[in-house]
Amino acid sequence: MVFLQVMMLLKLKWTSSGVKDTPHTLLFIIITFCVFFMLEIVDANSWWSLAMNPLLIPEVYVIGGQPLCSQLSGLSKGQKKLCQLYQDHMQYIGEGAKTGIRECQHQFRHHRWNCSTVDNSTVLGRVMHIGSRESAFAFAISAAGVLHAVSRACREGALSSCGCSRASRPKDLPRDWLWGGCGDNLNYGYRFSREFVDAREREKTFSKGSAESARQMMNLHNNEAGRRIVSDLADVSCKCHGVSGSCSLKTCWLQLADFRKVGDVLKEKYDSAAAMRMNGRGKLVQMHSKFSPPSGQDLLYLQPSPDYCIRNSSSGSLGTQGRLCNKTSEGMDGCALMCCGRGYDQYKAELVERCHCKFHWCCYVRCKRCSSIVDQYVCK
Amino acid sequence: MKSLASLSLWRIIILILPLVSLGQTFEYGWPDNYDKPPQCVDIPVDLRLCQGVGYHQMLLPNLLEHESMAEVKQQAGSWVPLLHKNCDPGTQLLLCSLFAPVCMERPIYPCRRLCENVRDGCSPIMAAFGFPWPHILTCDKFPQDDMCINTPNDTSTSEPNGHPPVCPPCDNEMKMDVILDHMCASEFAIKTKIQEVKRENMDRKVTLQKKKRTIKMGTLKKKDLKKLTLYLKNGADCPCTQLDNTRNTYLIMGRKVDKQYLLTGIHKWDKSNREFKKTMKKLKSHKCPAYENVFK
Repeated sequence: MVFLQVMMLLKLKWTSSGVKDTPHTLLFIIITFCVFFMLEIVDANSWWSLAMNPLLIPEVYVIGGQPLCSQLSGLSKGQKKLCQLYQDHMQYIGEGAKTGIRECQHQFRHHRWNCSTVDNSTVLGRVMHIGSRESAFAFAISAAGVLHAVSRACREGALSSCGCSRASRPKDLPRDWLWGGCGDNLNYGYRFSREFVDAREREKTFSKGSAESARQMMNLHNNEAGRRIVSDLADVSCKCHGVSGSCSLKTCWLQLADFRKVGDVLKEKYDSAAAMRMNGRGKLVQMHSKFSPPSGQDLLYLQPSPDYCIRNSSSGSLGTQGRLCNKTSEGMDGCALMCCGRGYDQYKAELVERCHCKFHWCCYVRCKRCSSIVDQYVCK
Repeated sequence: MKSLASLSLWRIIILILPLVSLGQTFEYGWPDNYDKPPQCVDIPVDLRLCQGVGYHQMLLPNLLEHESMAEVKQQAGSWVPLLHKNCDPGTQLLLCSLFAPVCMERPIYPCRRLCENVRDGCSPIMAAFGFPWPHILTCDKFPQDDMCINTPNDTSTSEPNGHPPVCPPCDNEMKMDVILDHMCASEFAIKTKIQEVKRENMDRKVTLQKKKRTIKMGTLKKKDLKKLTLYLKNGADCPCTQLDNTRNTYLIMGRKVDKQYLLTGIHKWDKSNREFKKTMKKLKSHKCPAYENVFK
């Protein structure tokens, strides 16, 4: 729409005015484009920026009070209110986002798009504007990360409004085992993650059947999918604490799975994500009805992914130029696929690492330095 | 033919080398997980298992997944009596390398050889008290390379002296700390005299006199107390001067394993001994580490 307006203005100016009006016209066009891009930049900000913020410690909030919450540019209006109400939680939301991004980078380390952070405010960049599989994964893993971090913080006693898990004793637990200990407070973490992460989506209203409405529903679903996977993977953990390490006394509690497992499961969901479209009544339905309908733990996407081969500022793709690749692999990390057929350069690199380490009493470790020449392949 | 074989051999060697070096890159640093890294804390003075071990700071959580210092102390407490037995010079080092591991950039586990020496020296004594060698100290899982903890001066096993070793439950110092540790590690304790001692297979069967006073009831029931018979596990042939003297009154400790009551400690009830008197007085106010409290 903005583009159309610019084109019309341009046409009018050129037909109606002479040469002397050109500087004003150019200035107007420049201003228009700047405003356009500024709007995009503002809109692209995200609560994920909390992961990049080193100031998220409770003491800062005590000193600064409420203004600091309002200064966090990545937060939506509702999220800022939650920030004011739950200042001590912000550190763990940041940690949760950071965990999510790190796990994303691990899971996509061999992909063309490898979940690189672009800058501290937009974090993953304009790629997240595309309603793609990658966006679906990123939203799910971030919501999961917050749930994980807050649940753990409750158990550690770091948050005043929550404590140990109050999950009831499982029925299949042997009778002579104790149910107690301090479990991860999954219930609280789940509710808080939903309130905070989904606040951004819920406070906006779009017209029924619009593209924005579809994207909103996609995000809400994928956030929830991430949380449900964390919830499903939580399990009973037990510890023997009888005399001399025996299992004569055993205590069990609810424990979250390691976040790597969450990432692994979500990656499988990413690989089998369901393509959706908006139907006439404003609901998301499958693009191809022959597949079985997606469950609450499945990821949804609306748009096909770009190929991520070439740097493209409009799509946010960074391209694969300069990426390391594996010459002998036929997978995504292989040079043929990673470099998109453009070819690769070969380099010799010296790899230096510690070797022959020995522990000395008491107490230090002494290692030798080993260096070797390795071949490295870089996409052209 | 030979040249072809040697060529393929070299290829195998060349292929193996990168794998070895790749494996090494994962050796260092904490494993790739999202948990909070352990903290360096001072070894507290009341973690008696590890006093004088040779270093002063430890990692928390430790290598046995104990997350709080209260948990470490409670679990380490039951191992202190084993330390008193001096069954192997490396006992404290093995236990403390796990209960109170040294503060390093990455965890340093005890060497398998250290573990095996302690296990071979100490498991017969633990068996005498009815304890198997625990799963947490399974030696197979410990490393065999140079990145592990061994005894600083690794001497060969000391030559056995001419005398057979004293029965473990009878080999006790008359010292307050030792008695209290044993009291906590035992389930019950009574004051009584010995009526009869008889051999039974590999054990010695100890029948007590009817007159008894309970010092610590524990899991013992009143009806069981009347006809209580204790077994000196694997104690058919080892010397035990206390059992030879049926005229004395004894402080006897024990615990129940399956359907047998095992003797875990026996001290002469010697009121003329200052240390013993002090111990009995201290016993009234002494509290053993309570397991339930650790997990509240």
